[in-house]
Amino acid sequence: MSLIELVRLALARLAVSRLRAALTMLGIIIGVASVIALVAVGQGATSGITQQLESLGTNLLTINPGATTTGLVRGAGGSATTLTLDDAAAVASLPGVSAIAPQTQTQAVVVSPTANTTTSIVGTNADYAMVHNFQIWQGTFLTPLEVESGLRVAVLGATTADDLGLDATAIGSTVTIGGLPYTVVGILQAKGGTGFVSQDDQVLVPLGTVTKYFTGSDTLRSVAVSVASADAMTSTTDAITGALRTRHSLAATDTSDFTITTQAQLLSTVGNVTSILTALLAGIASISLVVGGIGIMNIMLVSVRERTREIGIRKAIGAKRRDILLQFLIEALTLSMLGGVFGIVVGLVVSGVIDKIAGWPLVINPTTVVLAVGFSGIVGIVFGVWPARQAAVLDPIVALRYE
Amino acid sequence: MIGAAPAPAVAAQVPGWAVPVIEIRRASRVYDMGGLTVPALLEADLRVEQGEFIAIIGPSGSGKSTLMNLIGCLDRPTSGEVLLVGRSVADLDDDGLAAMRSRFIGFIFQSYNLLPRTTALENVAAPLLYQGVGRRERLERARATLEAVGLGDRTGHQPTELSGGQQQRVAIARALVTNPPLILADEPTGNLDSHSGAEVMALLRSLHASGRTIVLITHDAAVASSAPRQVHIFDGRLVA
Repeated sequence: MSLIELVRLALARLAVSRLRAALTMLGIIIGVASVIALVAVGQGATSGITQQLESLGTNLLTINPGATTTGLVRGAGGSATTLTLDDAAAVASLPGVSAIAPQTQTQAVVVSPTANTTTSIVGTNADYAMVHNFQIWQGTFLTPLEVESGLRVAVLGATTADDLGLDATAIGSTVTIGGLPYTVVGILQAKGGTGFVSQDDQVLVPLGTVTKYFTGSDTLRSVAVSVASADAMTSTTDAITGALRTRHSLAATDTSDFTITTQAQLLSTVGNVTSILTALLAGIASISLVVGGIGIMNIMLVSVRERTREIGIRKAIGAKRRDILLQFLIEALTLSMLGGVFGIVVGLVVSGVIDKIAGWPLVINPTTVVLAVGFSGIVGIVFGVWPARQAAVLDPIVALRYE
Repeated sequence: MIGAAPAPAVAAQVPGWAVPVIEIRRASRVYDMGGLTVPALLEADLRVEQGEFIAIIGPSGSGKSTLMNLIGCLDRPTSGEVLLVGRSVADLDDDGLAAMRSRFIGFIFQSYNLLPRTTALENVAAPLLYQGVGRRERLERARATLEAVGLGDRTGHQPTELSGGQQQRVAIARALVTNPPLILADEPTGNLDSHSGAEVMALLRSLHASGRTIVLITHDAAVASSAPRQVHIFDGRLVA
């Protein structure tokens, strides 16, 4: 019996019990679709986050207070009081450092004449735009004089300006931040790229105003350091580490009470984390494929039982064991492969929708598609063999008598 | 004839007459029922020549089915020999028996045993599938055979859309389509009304008239009377 004959038999049989076939396939469809969707979403997230990180600024070092434990997970927030404005000033004077932007941050309600929103209020200096690679869209960025004087002026992120219903004409107008009036001096150009944190949804004000009106302390959340050249990243990192350890009077055996993160580190950490997450999600999704396979086995066992007489008839008219085995195996395989194909379609649609909602690029990995179909084929064979064997070894005399 | 030398294999390929279609020599079939041995057939001898129409008559429990299973290559004898067209079945494995059934036997069952949800045409074509015949030729031969049994206009019908007599005629067409040396009919009229039963018997007689070898197994002496030769079976023993 040729493969075509067997597939024809299988399709004819599945056509007879369409609902059952569809429900059986559903397990595989869900399994394959979730593998594909989850991997695509994972990879979309990775490339979305990567793009965003790359837009944060080039040759960027970030100094954070407190010790990190592993990866991106930082130690207790209470430890975040070791980094001061004086530290930032010391770092700024180091060779290889072209600019620094000390940052302190709070959340506050911002009120415009027509709307209000709650957003991040970042206190920083005039170099922030340069360090973080921001372009000004309207007006000007914070000037050194404004920062030094602690004037209540604000530069709005593009999204924040939008949320507040402010456009180009808003320069010079007043918004209320945390109950106090600030003059809008500038609006930033949107960087695009949404995701877990938007760089476009923030309000930049002189550092002094945040410490004075909000946090009440001169400790910093972070210091962003722009390094003169990419080659100087390592030496500058070492220089900053040395300078800060001296300033914090740490003995040689003490661990540093700050961490320095580079873009490259951040990128590779994010890459690691997301690929682990992607693998984890794909792993979980594969479990549903296995469950789908068990569903196929279940229905094939029922089918063998129901069709015992048919098997007896086929054997009486000359079918060998192999013919019966292949008939049922190909039937199981057809179920799983059809499920796999439908699953790909569903998976692609779902991942397209999710990536669109999240604003990530749609990344379809052909390897994943091939693997998912291959795996569903293997599932069909693995879970189809046993029922097919049960059918193949039936004694025709017993099978013919079966009611 | 008992104890005759087994026919050389070559002879079987020559159509016909050199070799008996069925040759059973001192064949017994004993069932092992949890340590208790139950003999269903005892030292049976039977020889059926090509072109014969023979009825095997016996009440239920007489060993009829056991004999049919042996002749039909569905089972092997516990001892003795069963030869079909000169070939011994005693040492064949399951697939060997399947190959014998495919080549030499056309079955007709009491309950028709058509494949459910399958058209008459596909049902008749099914045995050819296992002979490796291509689809086009299968369907052509099936159509021709259905026409020969008078069902040329029912090819697309499923078993549930046919009367009992029609279903049995489809089954007869299925038994004929491979052109086997032996037609084995097990109570072919058992599920039919007398009119349809008479039609089926008439069909079998006409097949015999055209030279086919037919073994009819029945408990019904009236049905058996259609056959020129009758063999009785009782308590596992054949009585000529």
